[in-house]
Amino acid sequence: MKMYPSGTPSFKANLLIVWSEFVKNMKFLMAYPVLFVFWTIFPFFWFIPFIFQGQAFVGGLQSTSFEQFAGTPNYIPFVVIGAILNGYVLTSLYGVGESIRREAYRGTLDYLLSSPCNKAFILIGKAVSESINSTMYAAIQLVVGILLFGIEVTTGVIMPIVLIIFLLILGLYGISLMLAAVSLQFKQAHDLSHTLEYVFYIFSPVRYPLQSLPFWAQVLGRFLPLTYALLAVRSLMLLKQNILAIYQEIFLLFVLDIAAILLGFYLFNWMEKRTKSSGTISHY
Amino acid sequence: MAYDESSDTHSIQTINLTKSFRKKKHKGIFSFLKKGNEKEKSETTDITVALDHVNLKIRAGELFGLLGPNGAGKTTLVKCLSTILIPDEGTAIINGFDIRKQTTFVRASLGMVIGGERTLYWKLTARDNLTYFASLYKMPRKRIKERVDELLGIMDLLDRADERLEDYSTGMRQKVAIARALLHDPPVLLLDEPTLGLDPTFSRQIRNQIRELSKKEGKTVLLATHYMEEADELCDRIAIINEGKIVAVDTSDQLKAMVKETELVEVVCYNPPQDAEEYLKSLCPDVEIVTLVRGEEAKGAPSRIKLIGGNAEKRIGTVIDALRRKNTQIASLNISVPTLEDVFIKLTGAKLTEGGRGANQ
Repeated sequence: MKMYPSGTPSFKANLLIVWSEFVKNMKFLMAYPVLFVFWTIFPFFWFIPFIFQGQAFVGGLQSTSFEQFAGTPNYIPFVVIGAILNGYVLTSLYGVGESIRREAYRGTLDYLLSSPCNKAFILIGKAVSESINSTMYAAIQLVVGILLFGIEVTTGVIMPIVLIIFLLILGLYGISLMLAAVSLQFKQAHDLSHTLEYVFYIFSPVRYPLQSLPFWAQVLGRFLPLTYALLAVRSLMLLKQNILAIYQEIFLLFVLDIAAILLGFYLFNWMEKRTKSSGTISHY
Repeated sequence: MAYDESSDTHSIQTINLTKSFRKKKHKGIFSFLKKGNEKEKSETTDITVALDHVNLKIRAGELFGLLGPNGAGKTTLVKCLSTILIPDEGTAIINGFDIRKQTTFVRASLGMVIGGERTLYWKLTARDNLTYFASLYKMPRKRIKERVDELLGIMDLLDRADERLEDYSTGMRQKVAIARALLHDPPVLLLDEPTLGLDPTFSRQIRNQIRELSKKEGKTVLLATHYMEEADELCDRIAIINEGKIVAVDTSDQLKAMVKETELVEVVCYNPPQDAEEYLKSLCPDVEIVTLVRGEEAKGAPSRIKLIGGNAEKRIGTVIDALRRKNTQIASLNISVPTLEDVFIKLTGAKLTEGGRGANQ
């Protein structure tokens, strides 16, 4: 009798799970094309008020007092980079956790959980879909940033930025796993995502430099992967530093990634077992 | 085929499988303002025993029915076997693998249909759905394509394979759900109410396919249903489940033999009294159970009163006199051939179509 799986999990088979999940999510996105429009326009709506606000406060697009904190007088490129990287946070926070809830609502979650594959690959597939979406939107934003706001991108910074974004995505994947776990137990991760969204806004240097926060808030911000990603990317793009100057940020981002992923997996497995025991796993 | 209890070729064996659920009572949004004592607090949680030390042995290749009303524990049993729920006590062995310790191999051995047509991606096509779910079974890509085409052909869906499921009928979606269960060619199938909500044509098609899966392909099928005709027509053996307990297991004929023909009288009538069940039971105390199923008399469908067990046949005269006194028009009176419903009523005291916790809640 032929039985799948053969008992030896293969890299190729796991890659196919990630790919199938990605294809499925892309087809859903195609089924609702208005989402493309929303997610492309929304990040601009988000940072445009800060441009006007900045102009109102400092009377132009540059500020010497801003420079004391940020190391650059240019406020707009600072905010545009914040908005682009924060886009990854938004899609991660609202992506994977919500997607688990939607699977339960559709009635498909039982079938995902009763399949013999490692569920981590399904979740990776969901995270990859979110990351590719985010990268698409980020690319659009970056092009607009270059054309309208004079953001400069040199070829030398592209690879380091790709590495930093990859590390940011890993950390966010860990947070997504935690939200998926919350979604299994409480059936509603949206409010928590919304709260976390503001935690990132406040404690990460998205709209303002980290140094402008009180000390305790700066310490809190240092526990968020976005903080290191923003510090590193701005150092490369705005302060024209090289990758050696940001090795500390990259190392700490990597450490946070490992911690978030381990905690995420632990929480997800724990919640899966707990909800299978309580009988609430299929509830939504 | 006689069932051999000592046979070691069981595809499914449950051993004292037990599962309870805690349900919180909703006391109202201002309940926190009330002064509560410890007793009140302890009453906020109900415990429902969904499966109570269930022991079953299902032979390889057998088409085994699990018959019971809504809320009897059928779906909970299927979910425990498919590892979606973790039992509180006991375990089960599927295809030689323990559901507690060897979950990956249990899952690879199973195909299931549970929850019906709702459990598919309606925004995707039938082909997309099947291709996606096949990938979760680590099938090679080439084999996925071949198998998906093969199953779409078997289900007679090839010409509409690339349409979204939202444009399918309920019966067509259910066919896709069954095809999904067969993707990895599992030796064991768990089917939970596979014909629920289908019209007679699709029901017949699905039943024929279930029969073929068991008889031609040798798959072990656990069919959970509350349709007695379905269990009667398809299953080699049937377990009757009520309130989480298996109350009888045997072939359909043997189960029906539990109700002797002399123990079953059916009165077809119009305008029976409201309290017909209690009234006739008080007049015939030696009859075990009296049931009344009201027909839509305005549309010409008569009501049916059944007397089951004891000396029902000897009480015919008493029943006719009693009903006439209550102005009931008797259309016919039969000493009936027992059905599985009668067996269920005799064993549990409840009606299959109305009984069980699910129906009472």
